[in-house]
Amino acid sequence: MLVGANGAGKTTLLRIIATLLRPSSGEGTVDGLSIKDDGDLIRARTAYVSARGFVYDDLTAAENLRFAARLAGESASDGHVTELLTTVGLAHVADQTVRTFSTGMRRRLALAGLRLRPLGLALIDEPYAALDDEGITLVDRLVEDLVTDGTTVILASHQSGEATRRATSTMRLDDGLLVDTALSATEAS
Amino acid sequence: MSMPGRVAAIVWKDLLIEIRTKASFHSMLAFSALVLFVFSFAIGPDTPLLQRIAAGLLWVAIVFTGLLSLSRTYQSEEAAGGLEGLRMSPGDPRAIYLGKLAGNVLLLLGLEVVLFPAAAVLFQIELWPHALPLAGIAVLGTLAFSISGTFYAALTLHLRAREIMLPLLLIPALVPPLLGAVNATQLVLDGNPFGEADLWVRLLIAYDVVFFVACTWLFPLAVEE
Amino acid sequence: MERSAPFVRWLGIAALILMGAGSYIGLFVVRADAEMGEVQRLMYVHVPAAWTAFIAFFVVFIASVLYLVQRDPRADRVAASAAEVGVVFISLTLATGMLWGKPTWGVWWTWDPRLTTTALLLAIFIGYLAVRGFADDPEQRARWSSIVGILGFIQVPIVYLSVVWWRTLHQPPSSPRSVASEILWTWMLNFAAFLLVFIYLTARRARIAKLEGELETTLAYD
Repeated sequence: MLVGANGAGKTTLLRIIATLLRPSSGEGTVDGLSIKDDGDLIRARTAYVSARGFVYDDLTAAENLRFAARLAGESASDGHVTELLTTVGLAHVADQTVRTFSTGMRRRLALAGLRLRPLGLALIDEPYAALDDEGITLVDRLVEDLVTDGTTVILASHQSGEATRRATSTMRLDDGLLVDTALSATEAS
Repeated sequence: MSMPGRVAAIVWKDLLIEIRTKASFHSMLAFSALVLFVFSFAIGPDTPLLQRIAAGLLWVAIVFTGLLSLSRTYQSEEAAGGLEGLRMSPGDPRAIYLGKLAGNVLLLLGLEVVLFPAAAVLFQIELWPHALPLAGIAVLGTLAFSISGTFYAALTLHLRAREIMLPLLLIPALVPPLLGAVNATQLVLDGNPFGEADLWVRLLIAYDVVFFVACTWLFPLAVEE
Repeated sequence: MERSAPFVRWLGIAALILMGAGSYIGLFVVRADAEMGEVQRLMYVHVPAAWTAFIAFFVVFIASVLYLVQRDPRADRVAASAAEVGVVFISLTLATGMLWGKPTWGVWWTWDPRLTTTALLLAIFIGYLAVRGFADDPEQRARWSSIVGILGFIQVPIVYLSVVWWRTLHQPPSSPRSVASEILWTWMLNFAAFLLVFIYLTARRARIAKLEGELETTLAYD
């Protein structure tokens, strides 16, 4: 659980762990794998949901999930996709393009991608952003399911929800944690 | 995590988006036709002259149109939050390059299927007897353009003034394949005396191979952050 | 502020001396060319400048590779400095080539393969510097320009080949005349002079770049 004011560097830290961003100094390991050298291996078991969420506006919800699956080298049967969409309450708009979605719906779709394959680490930036009460409950359930399956979940948020309240450890980020500072080893699972 | 599978997924995704939005292809078509028209007007109705330079005009039209479509290659990615999602996927990030490359090649080839006959009509040149060699040259030239173009488009994605940086970097890189494609095309249209066109075809092939390897290899460095 | 290493200063002095010697010899000592007259003296600048420009480009290439492998900012600074100085030499090559061409061929520009390749090399250099100009983050700037430098270097021989084919297919290449030894020596002398100038300017520019880098870092932390 990462907390901190806006601009404290939470997103930057998540992105470094996700191997999307190269730290300008220092090193880190994820589950024993080096961020600098084993990026491929880390990404094989890690998923990152950015604050914006990775969805294509011109594809349908179902197509988005199917693409995400194929991109990860998994096959996603129609049944599996429908199941996932039901989990996040989007089954009824499976065949509508994301362009017609509200921000909250887009967010839910992005989060649904976390259940496409088994993960060692899930990084979620602002999990509750743009969500109503029902959505917040959804996220909490999602995180719970992930943890049950053995996934380590790191949430970066300035909001409070059930999942953040039950976090096993919390780290606060302030201005001080810039990309320049040496990083210590991150949570191992 | 198979590379071909992931590349195919990206190509298919871009194809789906293109079919649904019809954003690129139609405007490319219109633009390239306009370019050919403007050339004809600028040069004048001197048919023998137009016939002699038809290959040059055709390929310049393709390059200009290609430049436009290149800047859109990553546009759908930017709307979806940058290349992050693609970079986050497990496996070699080069799949992104290959997928975008394939997409660009298909788009341009589709354009050329219409553009070549259009040029034949406007410039009164005979394409059909040379269809096969012309098709081969078109593929090689389009590959050359897309190989370098897709790469530089990714490189300049986050640069300021990228609309001018992309042509600035790409055009010197395109001089050899442009010379190759134009000369090969013109020679083929003229009946390929002394088999001269072969020299240019070999240049195209060499360029394609060298830069396919170089760009594919360097791609992860270009999109790293 | 420390002064630059004494080695660099001696380099500068040596460069100055050699430049003086080369210029004097090229202008006054060597006989004028039998066929082309005084204009041929431009070649004493044109040819060594061209060689130096290519060396500069090669330095950019090697430094770019080094940077990508080791991520050492020093390599990046050398590459950038060599590129800036290289632009000067390329422009000099181009200018003297054109100045020589006007009285000789009657036109400012022909599509002579070497001249054309030189012009394209200038374009590639400028592209490299433009990338550096438009990138704000030092690390990205170094990385992107290194890639551009490497690709550019690979492009040059292919560009040259294609332009040579382009020009010679339609006209036979001009046969190179055998070069008298005093001309060769003057070229060598001027080449040595230019090379020293290049190294000196690059070293100075790299040092300035280092100071600029330190300034950037200081400002970023304010």
